[in-house]
Amino acid sequence: MLSPVKIWRRQSHIRDNLGKTGKILTWTKIYIAAKPFKKNAPYFVAMVELVGGRRLYGQLVDFTDQEPKIGMKVMTILRKVRQPSDEGVISYGIKFKPHG
Amino acid sequence: MISIIGYYTTQFGELWGKSLYNLVKETIDKVLPEANLEKEQLGAVFFGNMMAGLLENNLHAGAKIAEILKLNIPVFRVEAACASGGSAFNLALNYIKSGQIETALVIGAEKMSDFSPEQVVGGLSSASSGEEQESGLTFPGIYALMAQSYFNNHKISQEDLACISVKNHFHGSLNDKAQFRRQISVSEVLNSPYVAYPLKVLDSSPISDGAAAVVLTSNKKILKKAKKSVTVLASEVVNDTLSLKKRRHLDSIEATRIAADMVFKKTGLKRSEIDIAEVHDCFSIAEIMAMEDIGFWKKGNGAKAASSYATMYGRSDHLVVNTSGGLKAAGHPVGATGIKQLGELYLQLTGKAEKRQIKNAKYGLAHNVGGSGGTVVVTILGN
Repeated sequence: MLSPVKIWRRQSHIRDNLGKTGKILTWTKIYIAAKPFKKNAPYFVAMVELVGGRRLYGQLVDFTDQEPKIGMKVMTILRKVRQPSDEGVISYGIKFKPHG
Repeated sequence: MISIIGYYTTQFGELWGKSLYNLVKETIDKVLPEANLEKEQLGAVFFGNMMAGLLENNLHAGAKIAEILKLNIPVFRVEAACASGGSAFNLALNYIKSGQIETALVIGAEKMSDFSPEQVVGGLSSASSGEEQESGLTFPGIYALMAQSYFNNHKISQEDLACISVKNHFHGSLNDKAQFRRQISVSEVLNSPYVAYPLKVLDSSPISDGAAAVVLTSNKKILKKAKKSVTVLASEVVNDTLSLKKRRHLDSIEATRIAADMVFKKTGLKRSEIDIAEVHDCFSIAEIMAMEDIGFWKKGNGAKAASSYATMYGRSDHLVVNTSGGLKAAGHPVGATGIKQLGELYLQLTGKAEKRQIKNAKYGLAHNVGGSGGTVVVTILGN
């Protein structure tokens, strides 16, 4: 169970990861998702290496016309990441959009 | 010297009529006579289970198993995701080695089919990192990330992966306890829907119910009375990072390499001396990585070996892999899998594997993985 406090704690780190660029190390497209993500399936998820070497996971957005490729450049953006919890708290997090 | 003196597994599958503890009780009732043992001779029980606490609000398994056994002995529940069974076995072995007890019962069990796929997928993802969960990754998704990395680094096609499932379904067709006893073709695998690209339904192990148990002993009198036995030659548990992104390589499992090196060093055996192996094929790509990481195949040779069915019963001239059907066809009740793997080796090494019996098998290796490789247990048995 994801408590509102945990959501708040996680979200306090988002700012550090915004507006960063990097490249896709590997990716997949999820067809069978867990319940909080089911509504958005199928969706792309990638492991991205940011400039500087730090790695992040996140869903890919705005990839409607193209298939992701390993090595492709992306940029982090703020997005809603899952269905709201029972308490109605909206989870925000990092996703990636194509860059350059 | 510590030996396995008995094994029993329930049917694996969608067992609507049976609860987790119905399955546990069945293994206890059947494995003790199999080992020619009275329950009073047990010093302790180790129980591998992952999700009962999570899915059915069902913890404190030690007390429940003591209640079933009507014994006042220690019963420990062990959780290490899909390596819960292998870890429980390893702990039982070391508990005996410590001199605390002489004889242990090791049970692995999981009840999964009561729940929707979303609930099970969500429950299993509790064994991945918080960041992996928040990105919407699932376990098929994490193995798909590894598969994509492997595809990028080595020459391999989806057809090559499919051959792993075809082989394991063929083996499953020879195992009465397997969830799937139907052979499948490469085109059936390729035409099955995606779970997480590039992995499809028929690249993936199923949602299963089941329980399996082995009896371990160091007591010479008990060993002498046993009907059939095999010796535990080495067993090692190795942990690594929870999160895939923190690993150096995305197309192999380092903990497997370390654990395999340790058991081969300890036993002095060569890779070529292993006759049978049960490796953790939660997804087709996982068997290919396992075979390379254990050192049976050279890194990058997996596609060629898989598509030539090099480890298939009736085709292989030495090593046969996943004669039980593997996780793919035998089923994958996660807590039970590690015990079923060891049990399959026990059946093979004692000549009790019936239709899928490998002739003159002397050494067997079991490889049990938790999560994306955060826990690995490798065990070698000999007859």
